[in-house]
Amino acid sequence: MNFNDDIDAFRTPEPEEKKDGSVLTPFLTQHISESALPTDNYHKYCYRHNPEITRNKTVDDDKMKGLQENIDKLTSSDQQAITHVWSIFSAAPSNQRKLILQGILSQCCFPTLSYISSEVSSLIKIDFISALPMEISLKILCYLDCVSLCNAAQVSKSWKKLADDDRVWHHMCEQHIDRKCPKCGWGLPLMHMKRAREEYEANVSDEPPQNSIPPSQVTGECEPKVQEIKAEPEPKRRRLSRRPWKSVYSERYKLEKNWRKGIYKMKEFIGHTDGITCLQFNNKYLITGSYDTCIKIWDIATQTCVRTLTGHTKGIKSLVFDNQKLISCGLDSTIRVWNYHTGECISTYRGHEDAVVSVDFSDKTIISGSADSTVKVWHVDSRTCYTLRGHTGWVNSVKIHQPSQTAFSASDDTTIKMWDLNTHKCIKTFGGVENNGHVGQVQCVIPFNYKDKLYDDRGFQDSSGSESEDYEEFNEEIKNGPSHILTSSLDNTIKVWDVKTGKCIRTQFGHIEGVWSISADNFRIISGAHDRLIKVWDLQDGKCLHTVGNNSSVSCVGLSDSKFAAGLENGVVKLFCFD
Amino acid sequence: MSSPKVILTSSDGEKFPTDPKVAEKSILIKNMIVDLSPDGLEEDFEIPVPNVRATVLQKVLDWCEHHKNTIFPEDEDEDTKKTTPVDEWDRNFLKVDQEMLYEIISAANYLNIKPLLDAGCKTVAEMIRNKSPEELRKIFNIVNDFTPEEEAAIRRENEWAEDR
Repeated sequence: MNFNDDIDAFRTPEPEEKKDGSVLTPFLTQHISESALPTDNYHKYCYRHNPEITRNKTVDDDKMKGLQENIDKLTSSDQQAITHVWSIFSAAPSNQRKLILQGILSQCCFPTLSYISSEVSSLIKIDFISALPMEISLKILCYLDCVSLCNAAQVSKSWKKLADDDRVWHHMCEQHIDRKCPKCGWGLPLMHMKRAREEYEANVSDEPPQNSIPPSQVTGECEPKVQEIKAEPEPKRRRLSRRPWKSVYSERYKLEKNWRKGIYKMKEFIGHTDGITCLQFNNKYLITGSYDTCIKIWDIATQTCVRTLTGHTKGIKSLVFDNQKLISCGLDSTIRVWNYHTGECISTYRGHEDAVVSVDFSDKTIISGSADSTVKVWHVDSRTCYTLRGHTGWVNSVKIHQPSQTAFSASDDTTIKMWDLNTHKCIKTFGGVENNGHVGQVQCVIPFNYKDKLYDDRGFQDSSGSESEDYEEFNEEIKNGPSHILTSSLDNTIKVWDVKTGKCIRTQFGHIEGVWSISADNFRIISGAHDRLIKVWDLQDGKCLHTVGNNSSVSCVGLSDSKFAAGLENGVVKLFCFD
Repeated sequence: MSSPKVILTSSDGEKFPTDPKVAEKSILIKNMIVDLSPDGLEEDFEIPVPNVRATVLQKVLDWCEHHKNTIFPEDEDEDTKKTTPVDEWDRNFLKVDQEMLYEIISAANYLNIKPLLDAGCKTVAEMIRNKSPEELRKIFNIVNDFTPEEEAAIRRENEWAEDR
């Protein structure tokens, strides 16, 4: 190693230099002219000395001031000697600078080295976010969570610009809206209806809303919605003045925080004279059915009843509506279709031999469940009706799963059945001790699709991972089927079933009497039970988040992004608003 | 005769004879080799890397050498990418001063070495995560260029994210 030679070479000129200054001048002349070639600043200068980077300067200024004060205290010959060392160093090209430093470092003892080390660590600080090319800074910011991003926005002007960037927040929105972020466990509501309303109001003559599924009765069809959110910037840019994604995110974040903390405003709707049996709501209307034979349409904003639909001769048992029509059924064994904007009853369907206790529709198909143990499928266009037999008790709940053209029915016989709407055959029955099924009458069924992991009774389960042979077979049979179903029963439990295997994977305990009704979206389950309690559950892990007590048993519940509703046996309807 | 090498020349003129398999971790270099000698290397092949200093280039090549047999999944979906933590070896590899980290990120970007760029960006993100604005200014030596009024307004604007 010729390290020592280097040091010698460096040392020898010094005495000469002191005599006549002949070493310093040529050194400076040679190297300063060499380095004066202009190139762009990022190549010529290091991060620290680049005149385009101003952020470090104040710190350096303080240092320089201290340096000046100290050198002023020295004798003039000492001042000159030290300045020479600096001049040589500053004029030296980088490889020689390294050499000089190596020499100096090798002379240092530990206290000096320790001083160097602490100085160096405070000097080598780089404002990555401002110094790196913008696309890389944005990439870094995209790895952060929203709290960190909001802190980053408060650091400096250039940080604020990048940390508030629409691309970063669009990414955040994609990660969290309508799904749980696997990293932080937070998911934000889609606010599907809000946008639908804005678009509708912005362009009324547009094609009618395409949801064939009643929007507020979300059954967890997350796939089509996720695609919608990606397409969101386009229509927004066209029709509405575009909001920054950060504000979109923060609005939904505040809402989610209220859900988590249980902060809500409660509205009461009083007018029915007997127990409430069913309800559904959207942004504008809450529609309720009661044993008093009436259906009432309430304006949510004003909390007033805008219309009462009369025609059923006995109690109402179930209703479902979209933007145009309302379909109801009741103890008088009929199904009625209404124009609820005018109050007119458009048609009446008769055929069940006993009370009709559940109804659903999709597109031009109506499905009904009855106390006569049958399910009927009514094809409105062809005016045909099919009767699905198999249950041995009341059919308390029916739901159409449009993407797979299947239907689900829940019955007093403790089972749930899945039907093919094209062949009108029963595909599968969910129940039995061997599948950990319900032991009481099943009151409600909700098919849904869950792409991420769901907790089962043992803990985590990868819902997409279990590709049994069963599944393969089943998959060929039914395309786009729901991954899971949720059910509630008078055995006081709520169950989650794996549709592929037909087994119950999770049972949620907590209610101390029968669970009359449940409603769910991609994040939550709401349940109402005979024990007068409403419970809010986390869909993914099945934990109970909130319990709300009432003075009467809860017969029906509904859920949206920002609200849930509960109908009580004493005729009162409550709406809990989290926005 | 040994197999042909790629000879990378740093901005300060140092030459790094490198096994092509290692050098090809850089998509930039890989494409250059493919473009200029589509039939594979027959003799040593010199490529200048004018944006990268020798010490940094050495560090980057160390990384390439370590990962020469690692297969990085292509087009991972965003979620996996964001949730996968930095690999243990990479984490230690990137435990360097801010200057070196800055240059490694710049070099990875220039040389188009995506997994290294990702790891570098994640490392910086980790430095930022869960820090207060004041702590961030300290860590990166940033001067607060807001007026007190601006600062107060921006704090209010970002309050919603606190206390989750």
